[in-house]
Amino acid sequence: MKRQFLLLLLLCFAVAAPLATAQTAEDSPLSGEAAVAVSPAPGPVSNIQLKDTDNDHGHSVTLSWEISPDDGAGLNNVIGYEIHRALSPEGPFVKRAGVPAGSHSHVDVGSKEESSPDYMKDYIDYYYKIRTITADSAVNAESTVAGPIQSYGQWFNTGRVPVLIFVACFLALTLYFINRAKGGADLYVRPLAGIGAVDEAIGRATEMGKPILYVLGLGTAADIATIASYTILGRVAKKVAEYQTGLIVPCYDPIVMTVAQETVKASYADAGRPDSYKEDMVYFVTQSQFAYVAAVNGTMLRDLPATNIYMGKFYAESLILAETGALAGSIQIAGTDEIAQIPFFVVACDYTLIGEELYAASAYLGREPLLLGSLKAQDYAKAGVILIALVGFILLNFGVDGFKEFFFVSN
Amino acid sequence: MNGSRWTMIVLIAVVTLFLVSWAIKSFPSSGDTISWPSIRHAFFVTLAAFVTLAIFSFLYKDNPYYKFAEHLFVGVSAAYWMCVGFWSTFVGNLIPRISPGLSKFFGVPYKEFTFYYFVPLILGILLLMRLSSKAGWLSRWALAFIVGTTAGLNLIRYLRSDFISQVSNTFVPLLVQWKGTGAFFSDFSLASGGQFTLMLTNWVIFIGTFCGLIYFFFSKEHKGVFGAASRVGIWVLMITFGASFGYTVMGRVSLLVGRLTFLFDDWLGLMN
Amino acid sequence: MKRQLPLFLVLIFGLFGIVQYFIPHEKSEWMYEFLLDWIYIIGIFALALGIWSLMRVSWDKIKHKRQNWQYSIVTLTGLFAMIFFGFNYFRDFFNSAGLQNYMFRAFFDHIMIPIQATMFSLLAFFIASAAYRAFRARSLLATLLLISALIIMLRFNPYLGFIGDYMERTALWLLNVPNLAAKRAIIIGVGLGMVATSLKVILGIERAYLGKD
Repeated sequence: MKRQFLLLLLLCFAVAAPLATAQTAEDSPLSGEAAVAVSPAPGPVSNIQLKDTDNDHGHSVTLSWEISPDDGAGLNNVIGYEIHRALSPEGPFVKRAGVPAGSHSHVDVGSKEESSPDYMKDYIDYYYKIRTITADSAVNAESTVAGPIQSYGQWFNTGRVPVLIFVACFLALTLYFINRAKGGADLYVRPLAGIGAVDEAIGRATEMGKPILYVLGLGTAADIATIASYTILGRVAKKVAEYQTGLIVPCYDPIVMTVAQETVKASYADAGRPDSYKEDMVYFVTQSQFAYVAAVNGTMLRDLPATNIYMGKFYAESLILAETGALAGSIQIAGTDEIAQIPFFVVACDYTLIGEELYAASAYLGREPLLLGSLKAQDYAKAGVILIALVGFILLNFGVDGFKEFFFVSN
Repeated sequence: MNGSRWTMIVLIAVVTLFLVSWAIKSFPSSGDTISWPSIRHAFFVTLAAFVTLAIFSFLYKDNPYYKFAEHLFVGVSAAYWMCVGFWSTFVGNLIPRISPGLSKFFGVPYKEFTFYYFVPLILGILLLMRLSSKAGWLSRWALAFIVGTTAGLNLIRYLRSDFISQVSNTFVPLLVQWKGTGAFFSDFSLASGGQFTLMLTNWVIFIGTFCGLIYFFFSKEHKGVFGAASRVGIWVLMITFGASFGYTVMGRVSLLVGRLTFLFDDWLGLMN
Repeated sequence: MKRQLPLFLVLIFGLFGIVQYFIPHEKSEWMYEFLLDWIYIIGIFALALGIWSLMRVSWDKIKHKRQNWQYSIVTLTGLFAMIFFGFNYFRDFFNSAGLQNYMFRAFFDHIMIPIQATMFSLLAFFIASAAYRAFRARSLLATLLLISALIIMLRFNPYLGFIGDYMERTALWLLNVPNLAAKRAIIIGVGLGMVATSLKVILGIERAYLGKD
């Protein structure tokens, strides 16, 4: 039964297939004729404007045009436009891109690599024309040739002005407050629990005769959190040197290790105890995340440091480190700007410096007027941000969008 | 029984287990004869299982097996990254630009002589001067170059990618789709897409961000209204940290499941 | 000379790092790419210092028979074995085929990868002990953290009936709304902290990392 049904089905196909082909064969010349007959060429685009692309490194031209009268109106047969480029008005023109109907502009971006086939040389004349295309490849309309235009790179990106203004204002604020601080102005800073704990912890370690473990995190020398961490390490090391306590600094990144060695050495010299500095205090472990963690865990359980300080960039290992330290009974102080890791430190450490507090820590520990001055600048910048946010959102609620647009930064 | 005897018993048990596992694993599953590659492979699979268990043993307490795995891991991984760094960066990137002879020696295609690549070479050598007690200070030039460049580049990178967009995203309408008080109350709903919820969301985001920033003020005493705002700020932060903590818990459990799968499936072959 | 020149270098390269962002021109891009390459290359020399430091610390431990010195032998053995295979001394003297060497790959696949994955999976236990620590919360802040963590963890619990439904909605709201506000505040604060720290370094106000004398 099943086999008969299948056979019947096959038979149907066999009969239907040539019929269908015949139908298409009959259809296509008809439709072709119809296209030629009823679809005349659309109107070409007009008023082509060429300019070098703004705020770029060159090798690019921006085109804009008025669309064909038959794009969305008139014959309504335009399906898109092709951009063609040549080195002379006579050609040969090479197709660079295709854009859909309704497009008014296109950015022709070439490669900056001379070896690339797409290389687009700066400071030479280019000519463009735009072909209006329809569903039938034989039916199209070419614009007049536009040009010449040269591409070149700019020396200033105007799209990034907000960032420049911000950096300039912040720099001015910092310099102003540093000057004020130099002049002897008393700058108040509120107490931070985590910072107070550092002194306490060093004292405790001295009493117990146990070392302090300072972990700079997994940041490389390229992370600003790590730079902040060096500065904190410098202050901690100075106190450690004064108290004659031990210091252990295992490092993940070799450059960080080198900088940390330099920092600790300087701090010991500052504290008047250059001879107490040992090169082995700051050592390299490995550049593998979990091997580093395994080693630091081992140090925590074997050397039993009185205090563990974690400052810098941390990733998934934060919890392993902090929990092991907590189980080993050390006092723990942490600080990171890595938002995903802050919760783990908050849970497992005694004190945690959250985000910006990490960057403020060195000023707190050093208590030097210069650094406190920059802290004040940070606060003023924050007040500025709050003010801008307030203004921005009041304007937005009154229907003014321009202010928000000003903060748009081009990539 | 004293401690050292226990240690010996455990050691013998571990070694025996290792050898048994190695032997069993050396037999190919299809029943073919034992070959050198299968013995070699069996050794490494057993070693992987051994180091896995050694690391897990840390949960009980620090012990010689953990210490062994930890120290082995440190040595192997340090050398691994050194080899990878040497072949990919030093030989792959530097050598083909400074010396045809060395390129040939290392078997990499010579690109073209680029004078500028001598700068990192010189700075790198200066960095190695650290090993000398007299010329050690020269290494600071290299450090200064790295610290300066990265400070400048990262300052901008962070501002560009996060900071400015976060500031401008704070501008949110507090009266979403506002059509007057009457309409607000007559169309009141608690649905997640409703006007009230959207407005509440925007208010919480705005006030939360505002108070959070106030918490980070360092040079003003947190008293009075300022102190209250700062307290709200730290509450919002703590609620967020809790949420983030809770969110991660399940993800971490799945990692453990992955390791147990290795032990029971790849090593012991119990799962199928 | 010992300190002035490094400070000058920091200033010059730091300023360039900032300025290049505003200059789209090819020359600035070209310099930027060079600088990144340079940092990587210097990193390799630094890595040599790192390996030297690791060897020295391990060797010192062995020499002075410090506590657990035996394990330093394991470290050094692993290190030298890996270098030996990584440089392919075994077959062809000194070539990059070392990275494809069977033993080099086997050490990577059967020592590094399993230990790495196991260390990572330890997080499951540590997060449990951390949660226990959070449960004993005594302060208001810790309680807030605990409650919100609980809501998130129990959000898909089918045994909670209609409460579970509310919990799921609250969890979603917590993750979308206060979370966004807090992250925004942190990001803005961190941004300012970073700019301040970078400027202090570039301007030479913060110079502890350059050592003394």
